[in-house]
Amino acid sequence: MLRIPCPWCGTRDEAEFRYHGDATRPRPTAADTLADFSRYTYGRDNPLGWHLEWWLHVGGCRRLLKVERHTLSHEIRWVGTPEASPAPEVQAP
Amino acid sequence: MTGPARIAQGLLTDPARPLAFRFDGSEMRGLAGDTLASALLANGRRLVGRSFKYHRPRGIVTAGCEEPCALVDLIGAAGREPNQLATTLALHEGLVAVSQNRWPSLELDVLAVNDLLGRFLPAGFYYKTFMAPGWAWERLYEPLIRRAAGLGKLAARVTEHAAPAEIVHDHADVLVVGAGSAGLAAAAVLGTAGLRVLLADQDVMPGGGTLLDPRWSGWREEICRRIAALPTVRRLARTTVLGAYGHGVFGTLEALAPQERARFGGLRERLRVVRARRVLLACGAGERLIAFPGNDVPGVMLAGAALGYLRRYGVAAGLKPVFFLNNDEAYETVFALAEARVLAAAVIDPRPSGRAAARAQEAGIEVIAGAVVCRVRGRRGVRGVRVMGANGSTRRLDADCLLMSGGHSPATSLACQLGARLEWHERIAAFTAEPPSPAGRAAGAARGVYGLAAAALDGETAARALAAELGRTAPLLAAGPGLPSDPDATPLVPFWEVRAPGKAFVDLQNDVTADDVRLACREGYEHVEHMKRFTTCAMATDQGRIGGLVAAAVLAHARGAPLAEVGQVKPRPFLEPVPFAALAGGEVRGHYKPKRRVPLHDWHERAGATFVNTGLWLRPLVYSRAAGWEPVLEEARAVRRAAGITDVSTLGKIDVQGPDAARFLDFVYANTFSTLAVGRARYGIMLREDGMLFDDGTTSRLGATHFLVTTTTANSAAVLEHLEFHLQAVCRELDVVLTDVGDQWAQFAVAGPRAREVIASVVEGLDLTNAAFPFMAAAEARIAGISGRLFRISFSGELAYELAVPARTAPVAWQAVLAAGSRYGIRPYGLDALNTLRIEKGHVTTAELNGNTTADDLGFQRMLKKSGDFIGRALGARPGLAATDRLQLVGVRPVDRARRLRNGMHLVAPESPRTSLGYVTSSTPSVELEGWVGLALLAGGRQRIGTRLLGTSPIHGERTELEVVSPHMLDAENTRVRS
Amino acid sequence: MSGPEGAITLASCPADIVELAAFRARASDLARLAAAQDFALAAGGGTAARAGRLSLSVRPDRWLLLTTPAAPGESAALRREMCRGCGAVVDLSSALVAFLLAGTAVPEMLARACRLDLEGRAFPKGCAAATIMVQVPAILARLSAGMLLLTPATTARHLREWLVETSQPFGLALAPDATVSALCGESQT
Ligand SMILES: [Zn+2]
Repeated sequence: MLRIPCPWCGTRDEAEFRYHGDATRPRPTAADTLADFSRYTYGRDNPLGWHLEWWLHVGGCRRLLKVERHTLSHEIRWVGTPEASPAPEVQAP
Repeated sequence: MTGPARIAQGLLTDPARPLAFRFDGSEMRGLAGDTLASALLANGRRLVGRSFKYHRPRGIVTAGCEEPCALVDLIGAAGREPNQLATTLALHEGLVAVSQNRWPSLELDVLAVNDLLGRFLPAGFYYKTFMAPGWAWERLYEPLIRRAAGLGKLAARVTEHAAPAEIVHDHADVLVVGAGSAGLAAAAVLGTAGLRVLLADQDVMPGGGTLLDPRWSGWREEICRRIAALPTVRRLARTTVLGAYGHGVFGTLEALAPQERARFGGLRERLRVVRARRVLLACGAGERLIAFPGNDVPGVMLAGAALGYLRRYGVAAGLKPVFFLNNDEAYETVFALAEARVLAAAVIDPRPSGRAAARAQEAGIEVIAGAVVCRVRGRRGVRGVRVMGANGSTRRLDADCLLMSGGHSPATSLACQLGARLEWHERIAAFTAEPPSPAGRAAGAARGVYGLAAAALDGETAARALAAELGRTAPLLAAGPGLPSDPDATPLVPFWEVRAPGKAFVDLQNDVTADDVRLACREGYEHVEHMKRFTTCAMATDQGRIGGLVAAAVLAHARGAPLAEVGQVKPRPFLEPVPFAALAGGEVRGHYKPKRRVPLHDWHERAGATFVNTGLWLRPLVYSRAAGWEPVLEEARAVRRAAGITDVSTLGKIDVQGPDAARFLDFVYANTFSTLAVGRARYGIMLREDGMLFDDGTTSRLGATHFLVTTTTANSAAVLEHLEFHLQAVCRELDVVLTDVGDQWAQFAVAGPRAREVIASVVEGLDLTNAAFPFMAAAEARIAGISGRLFRISFSGELAYELAVPARTAPVAWQAVLAAGSRYGIRPYGLDALNTLRIEKGHVTTAELNGNTTADDLGFQRMLKKSGDFIGRALGARPGLAATDRLQLVGVRPVDRARRLRNGMHLVAPESPRTSLGYVTSSTPSVELEGWVGLALLAGGRQRIGTRLLGTSPIHGERTELEVVSPHMLDAENTRVRS
Repeated sequence: MSGPEGAITLASCPADIVELAAFRARASDLARLAAAQDFALAAGGGTAARAGRLSLSVRPDRWLLLTTPAAPGESAALRREMCRGCGAVVDLSSALVAFLLAGTAVPEMLARACRLDLEGRAFPKGCAAATIMVQVPAILARLSAGMLLLTPATTARHLREWLVETSQPFGLALAPDATVSALCGESQT
């Protein structure tokens, strides 16, 4: 079971959060093609390792969090607000 | 007297409190503090069950939850409970237990013939049988196996009330697993450092191994006294840690003490979910068996278990024991029984010599060194053994029990679940596992450190390290005052199996022999996990704790590989059987889901409403308890002819405010809201990013930067989440605040030709004429003296208003409308009538907004914005979604007006009745039109309007000729809503 | 109020509840306006009381203000006047129901549904948090008067029934309604 350290609420059980998928793909803009929207909506990498993903804290502050989670060990090494990004050195594999 | 084998005073038993109990119909007596197993042994009872596959007689092998054989059915007031462990089941007055797995009786089991036919029931039997033709499995094998094999019987039992159950959430800095010498020392250190400690121990009393050695009682009492004085340490007795779930979360099961049970309404077990920053695994080591022919005969027991029965309950496992051991620790049983004047017939030790053996010999006990047990005499109970010396000579020994020990294996399951890797130690012939940092540490016997004093010191060391990791300094304890010393011991010699004729079991619960393991290997199941699945070794309640490593050793030998490489099977949660009731907790039956009640729930109830569950909501379906359509149609008719009022408080309501509110709504809705004037409402449709319809509802502009969004009842939570996600992830530059106001506002629809007159008499200061307050107007209003909101919107297709008031004032406003409307014949109407009205009108709900329909499918194509981005714009424009043969919304009516429609009825062409062209989504008898009307999704539906099809419902045996019509079956020009 | 040692008392707390939500970068303006009206806005995850009025913060840049009940909508209208332009003011007086639980066994009882650590050191007086209990949203705040619990109105009966049932083994006494000024008691920022 995940325990996610919410920057607003403190560490909370997974049961309070809703998963909202890959946080590395920005939504295409109106100028982008149908193929871009297809990739955004349906395209999913399935990485083994660190993954940046959206979790919405519906059972707490209702804020959207960006969470860096290891897909094998489930370790969480970074949590931030939607604007933030993990430090570059942390991004290295 | 409580049995011939009660030879001493036990640590846990109270000789002043005898208890009567029954086992297989025999009256027996035990003592308070006994387990069922200790009481049975005290009464000289050795045969307690029959085995799973071969129906061989079985006795008590262990003294704890690792017990493979002594499983019984407990007969209680509430019925039969199978698979109760006699070794952990606390005895109580009047307990009734029966043995399992025997037919017709324990002494004479006809199916023991399986034992003789064993060569035809080899390992892998199930797998091979599954290969047989299906009919044979169903008619022949399964009934046979069900009769012959399996554990206890499950009596189907459905009672009116669920058994009490609860889940408790716990938090700690450190979870200490096990209260042996290591765990106690660790808890004392951590607690002194001011850390919050949860000390979970399976036993009824703390102490672990120290309970078996009187030299340790002083130390134990002192350290327990210290721990009890530490305010931050909580000790949980009878609590098993079931599994490690990562992120510091552990599942534990606490069995309640009798007085606690009574306090919590008969609760027996409590599931505790522990969240801990660190774990300290001081869960000890388990003794393992030796595989030799007849190692399952009742009377064969682990030596450590026999020590437990003596120390804890004052019970001798036998009065003439013979021992078969390969380690010095197990000699403690020899010495303890000798002290209680139960002299060993002999000790058989495969090692040539050893310190403990020398001590035994000094005490006058015969030690047969370099020898093994090659046969056990007796079938329903040990009568003796045959011993084979190093030179191959054999010798017969008489005995009434055989106490064995193949060494001790550290408990590694929790560490492995935390991601630890097994490490092989030749010194103890076992694996250890250290949890990865920073999850926690292992200490004491769980880490392969043997000796109680060594374990205590190790526990202290681990605790000090954890305290440091958590930023605390722990004072030095050096394991506390009066720490006894550990005896010197000669290391064990790994010893797994005696290969001699007969069945040598590695798993007593699943009847798996060493030969079965070799068979698995021969058939190619060489990996330890494959061997497990082929043989069923290490499955079921005991998880192979006493023989799993022995099986792995046999496999390693068969493979010619080192045991270190073969490894052990992966231990998964749960470590011990858990009742489903404990896992479910209190959220069962009536408490399975919360009930959501509208603010006027009590009024609806008093008005005689029949309620329907929609999601969590309880909604009034119809104000009648009578069955059939007539009460529904009466309500709907009142709306069409005069006026009706219905409670629509369940609609989702989201308050949207901020400088960018209009821009945000333009993005989340497929139609435009920025052009909406203040004081006006607009119907809106929301798409998912894949272009499918997500939700619909009316949104009102209450101010330049203030909107009120309404959603369908079903999607209210999903829409809020969808908006919050997009606001924070996609539209981060927009300054908008979203607030769920669903519960704040009670909302009622007042509909019907007389609605304006009704509303006019409850609303003050608002001109309700068409010019001043037209269709789709919205305004703040005083309603029956309450500040609320008035909207002119209609779901029924009639002239209608929706009025919203703060929920706690709902009864006042509702009653005021009813009073004002009484002269016009107003009636409350329920969900069924609402449905009738909207189907006639061709309005859609979640039956049509089913996640597979597009705006075009439901006829909303003209609402889509031509410019600007919005969710679903790009993918909604995919050419395939504009195909003319997609399922499109139409109306349907039976040609024969006397026939009925059914939801889910398939639409087919008469010439190809097996090809579905679509289906009926909603249907109702009509109040305005003759007969039934329905909405349907029909392939190329708009092109088929005016044609006829068949509606078929094979499960009702119905075929009905239908005409396809426009979904707007009533007032297509919308004159009523604008009247 | 009477009951066994360590018993739990349960009271309803009639209150007007208004949520203030600051628009972007306007939180400090909002706090200033509030202070001018004698409202102390709580820090994140906390409570603050002034002049018999209580504020809680369980969401960033949002505050729940609890005041003594007035006519429906009146408190919200006053606050709207106060905050104009700085943030959204939403009346939640009917949306949320407030209960006050008191007694030493309250954290132990709540642990049967609440996943948060409510132990005294982890959740001391002046703390507030939003979570889920018995499948419904719950806002908890530890005050001198006890544990304040806010929950959505349409599932409040469900939660109240659970509280009553679960409190039985600890001893339960139903207490008369608690006023907002009683909640404010000695609660400090
Ligand atoms: Zn949060």
